[in-house]
Amino acid sequence: MNAFFLAFAYLRYHWARSLVLVLVTALILSVPLISQVLLNGSQTALTERAAQTPLVLGRRGSQLDLAMNALYFSDDRAEPVTMADADVIWDSGLGLPIPLNTAFETNGARIIGTSLEYFDFRGLELAEGRQMALLGEALLGAKVADRLGLGPGDTVVSAPQNLFDLDGVYPLELNIVGILAPTGTADDEGVFVDVKTSWVIAGIGHGHDGVLDEAATPGEIVASASIVEFNRITQDNIDSFHFHGDPGDYPVSAILVAPNDARAATILRGRYLDAENPVQLIVPKEVIGELVGRIFRIKALLDAVTLIIGGAALAAVALAVFLTYRLRDGEIRTAFKIGARRGMILRLLAAETFIILCTAGAIAFGITFAVQSNGSTIVAWLLAT
Amino acid sequence: MQMNTLCRRSVLGMLLSVTAMPLAAQDRPVVATDNYPLAYFADRLGGGAVDTVFLVPAGTDPSFWRPGIADISEIQSADVIALNGAGFSTWPTKASLPRSRTIDTSAGFGDRLIRTDTVTHSHGEGGEHSHAATASYTWLDFALAQEQVKVLADAMARQMPDNAASIARERDVLLADLDALDTRAMVLSDQPGAGPVIASHPRYHYFAAAYDLEITALEWDATEDPTDAQWATLETMIADTGARHFIWEAEPSAAAQRRMSALGLTDVVFSPLANTPSEGSFIDRMRGALDALESAFQEN
Repeated sequence: MNAFFLAFAYLRYHWARSLVLVLVTALILSVPLISQVLLNGSQTALTERAAQTPLVLGRRGSQLDLAMNALYFSDDRAEPVTMADADVIWDSGLGLPIPLNTAFETNGARIIGTSLEYFDFRGLELAEGRQMALLGEALLGAKVADRLGLGPGDTVVSAPQNLFDLDGVYPLELNIVGILAPTGTADDEGVFVDVKTSWVIAGIGHGHDGVLDEAATPGEIVASASIVEFNRITQDNIDSFHFHGDPGDYPVSAILVAPNDARAATILRGRYLDAENPVQLIVPKEVIGELVGRIFRIKALLDAVTLIIGGAALAAVALAVFLTYRLRDGEIRTAFKIGARRGMILRLLAAETFIILCTAGAIAFGITFAVQSNGSTIVAWLLAT
Repeated sequence: MQMNTLCRRSVLGMLLSVTAMPLAAQDRPVVATDNYPLAYFADRLGGGAVDTVFLVPAGTDPSFWRPGIADISEIQSADVIALNGAGFSTWPTKASLPRSRTIDTSAGFGDRLIRTDTVTHSHGEGGEHSHAATASYTWLDFALAQEQVKVLADAMARQMPDNAASIARERDVLLADLDALDTRAMVLSDQPGAGPVIASHPRYHYFAAAYDLEITALEWDATEDPTDAQWATLETMIADTGARHFIWEAEPSAAAQRRMSALGLTDVVFSPLANTPSEGSFIDRMRGALDALESAFQEN
């Protein structure tokens, strides 16, 4: 008891040196734990979501980019496919196509234009508000709602794609009508709208005041040069919203496909094997499985590196402690001369080391716990960027 | 093996989405429609085991009805959402509806749809473009109505597999009823007094095309007596077409009927039944309208 009292008093007196030792030790202990937590979280997030997504249809190119975009709404987006490609799946009667249009953002969150089937497919439930019903309505993922401090009745504005493209996509105000319950997946970081709303953001659909110029004579159709397009959809102007062009040409980033059964899945996969076909059908579990395999090969290397660096760092800390004891040689001799036995001096030094290690361990545990608590968010962010 | 598991999960997910969630909300399957004919067809096909949701209030034109949020929520939860298509109602293009449960009953005969007015204009970066209008009262061609019934019956049987056998039976009976109407309408143009007809509203494109009738339409409001200017337009139209028959979309006032007689026109009421009639069913009312037209053609 006396040894701990004296050790604590000593550490408190030399607080700066003690603090450095505690922090360095805490970091050495927490780094491997954090990397373990994040890697395990990534593996779980990657494999579970991929396993729950039977097939993904998208533009031929990087299968990994397509899977990451369709599953985690990552920034890596291939060229879009069209709704005609979704119609081919639908018309085949072999599965349910669920479109995803992830081309736009708002407040740092991805806007996901999709159909109502997506929410059933992913098992997403409302925590607050109601399901989207009209053009311009949005549901927020749990983390986005928490981060932005928004709820039903509030609005968010889609970000313009290019600040200097004055003739391009213009921002659309989205009415938040519901908040999704947290799932610990990428869905928590998304802003969900009807795919038709995403086409309004893209400028394919729009609403505006009367088109006809008041100066036009009867029978003559002259469009007014001063038409102002609406940048919010309200009860008063929703009737003016309309879409142009062939609906089959409307773009979507990817299409989730839920085949009716294994046979339907096999038939569908067979239809997209031709390398000349600009559209490909991938099995996310296979694509993500390869990625996870690579991650774990890297993890093994990372573990070895962590072990070596951790050992070296611990050796450095031990050396620092040893040198401290050498610096305290005079102090130890004085203690011996005034009657402290050799065992007492050893207990004193051991108590100091024990306090430092325990404090560092507690801090490392706290850091790891904090990372683990927000692991899903960090993993979702890592996967989306 | 992995693929099997994968697909079992997806099928389970689909089943949950397609059946479990709507069924959790109500005991009986529900079909929502955007007009009365489809509601009637669904009711007949369901044979009393299916609830039909048709939310347009009486006296409102379903083509221009705009559902509220509660209406859309109710429609979203239906097992089958049957839309007439052919541009009949615009609200579905602005509402979020589940594709797996939504059917366009006229999509299968897009090549037989009748194009009407086209407005061309330009704005934005897309250049000049057109808004083609399409005649949307497809069920007045009873052969097309039969096609719509088949599509609806298929969708109902798919979403309500427990009722598939009874739906198939009811479909055959309903198709026979519609076929009888079609056969009946086919002989209208053979009647001795058959000739050009004027209608109070442009609702009868498919009826005219299917049954070889020449119907010219006015733009009269079904709920109001025609104005003097509208009567004048009618007189001009009579002179131009030589019409001797007039079709009212809805029951006219006695004064309007007297004035019509004074113009020498035999008038009949032929409601296209886009909304629920105050009395009678779709088949009964259509049969009555065909009777009235046949009588009118026989008189003249």
